[in-house]
Amino acid sequence: MQEELNVAINSIRVRFGSQALTRAAELPPPQPWPSRTPIDRLTGIGGLPRGRLTLLTGSGTCGKSTLALLLLAGATREFAHAMVIDTNSGFDPWTLLPFYPELSALTVVRAPAPEIAGEAMAALAKAGAGFILLIGEVPEHWLGPLESGANRSGTVMVGVIDAPGRAFAHASSLSVGLSRTDWIWERGQLVGLRTSARCVKNRVAPPLGETELEIRYPLGAKSLFDHQVHVTEVPSLHVELECASAVV
Amino acid sequence: MRICCGLTNHLELARRPDLYGNPVVVGHWEEHVVALSEEAMPFGVMPGMALRQAEHLCPQATFLPPDPEAAAHLRELISSALYDLAPTVEVRVEGIAWLDVSGVPKPGESIREARRRLKTAIGREPRLGLAPGPFSARLAAARARPGRLVQVDKASAFLAPLSPHELPLDAEQLERLDLLGLRTLGALAAMGPRELESQLGRAGRHAVLLARGLEPDELTPWRPPLFTSAHRQFESSIEDREALLFVARALCGDLAEELGLRGAGAKSIRVRLFFEDGSQERRDSVVRHPLSSAAELFGLIGSWIKEWQPHAPITEMWIELPVLESAGRRQLRLWAGGDGNGEEVAAALERLQERHGDEVVYMPRPHLLSSPLPSQRFA
Repeated sequence: MQEELNVAINSIRVRFGSQALTRAAELPPPQPWPSRTPIDRLTGIGGLPRGRLTLLTGSGTCGKSTLALLLLAGATREFAHAMVIDTNSGFDPWTLLPFYPELSALTVVRAPAPEIAGEAMAALAKAGAGFILLIGEVPEHWLGPLESGANRSGTVMVGVIDAPGRAFAHASSLSVGLSRTDWIWERGQLVGLRTSARCVKNRVAPPLGETELEIRYPLGAKSLFDHQVHVTEVPSLHVELECASAVV
Repeated sequence: MRICCGLTNHLELARRPDLYGNPVVVGHWEEHVVALSEEAMPFGVMPGMALRQAEHLCPQATFLPPDPEAAAHLRELISSALYDLAPTVEVRVEGIAWLDVSGVPKPGESIREARRRLKTAIGREPRLGLAPGPFSARLAAARARPGRLVQVDKASAFLAPLSPHELPLDAEQLERLDLLGLRTLGALAAMGPRELESQLGRAGRHAVLLARGLEPDELTPWRPPLFTSAHRQFESSIEDREALLFVARALCGDLAEELGLRGAGAKSIRVRLFFEDGSQERRDSVVRHPLSSAAELFGLIGSWIKEWQPHAPITEMWIELPVLESAGRRQLRLWAGGDGNGEEVAAALERLQERHGDEVVYMPRPHLLSSPLPSQRFA
């Protein structure tokens, strides 16, 4: 049986080239993009994987959009092209200013329909855009071209969504679930939130990791773009290093 | 300007790595020594001396006739291997490789990779020097241990104690400098270019500029050749499309490997089929973005072959790439932080706008950021 399989593998390689079929063990490890955020530690490889889809999930006001904006601002400073695929026309570049982005590298694709979002994301991943932030979800039939295009070009893709569909969740290589644990009040005023970030799926390293993040809103006398939002990792009181999901 | 210099063997010696560790002398009989290995130097053999004299001094050496074509071919291979590491690359058959790493965001990585590639090509660790110009970089490299880098920040201070024998002057000119009492480059640098020009001619002026670290010489950048092709002649004529596709895939693989070595992409592609009756058919196209991988080349050529209706059995197939993009896409990556091709991303955005309207793509540029109206904040 093993011999027959080897013969079949060899004949495919002779017929279609050595790259047509690759053993999983021979695949090169995904190269990470060090985002310099607390998420890097959760991924297990020291950064976000290139050529793969990373999801930030969680219900509203859990801090996933703030974290995504932090990643996007970092990407605008490090990549020549940082893209936002906005499926619900809700992205305002103004909200990015507290993170000190390099706006000349930022392009927003306002997709009026999920079909256009899928097409745009697949085309940009194939063309080799450095970083793509997807706000929302793309249809299932675009996930294949998206994965193959990004895999070839090494694009860093991050999706932000409350609860991903089955296909979208399956297409991701890394999924970080966020849930708000507490609001932060100072002098009777709401100044931020404390959220728990947990790696719920990881195809690039063992899915073990949880941390607590403190997100401080830009408040005070300063104007919005003079005030830097702080996303910091804080010591967690109840860290459970358990494998929440081991989809490999 | 920051120039990295990698010093290796003379490329004539690199043709025979099996002789590394032994004294080797390259030169035509009855003529002069072209190159010699480090092991032959202690015997007093020098480049340029008569080969008979070299044989007298070092009879145990292996004597090889020079092969300038093979050395030039090796030079091309090394140039193409280093091409994507720096904007300007020059390689000489004497075993000198210069890379201008000015403006490269991560020069350390380029230098490390250059060392690795030189070692792969030559089979020995290169000596590396990093200095403000090609002359001082070469001298710095000559003083480095194999596989190590000597870095020079101020060329004039580094050059000052060195001997004038490092300058590109002939024996008579060097003797004249000695008679003038100029025994270091520092002493030479203290003189005016005109003063030494009156003694040695133009070479004197050039020598003073070199000694002062002013680096009057510029690198001659290597550029990839502009044409390549691959072909296959069939033992018996073929009519099977699958077989033709198989051959086309193999040829595309060969061409992609060559393009990869040269760091180039194909801007124009031509396929010619020769038939049993002596006639031929051709198809060619100019592509917007240069193709460099086997998959890209076969993607286009395979689609042509699938719809081709040859009128007779095919005896020969040619794939020609008449126009290669020289500096192009690979070098753009030197400055983009790990990104893909800017042109490809721009083209993808253009296609989206063509299909779904201009408003789909929005590039926010700050306008009135403090405005209370969101629509006024960005242009």
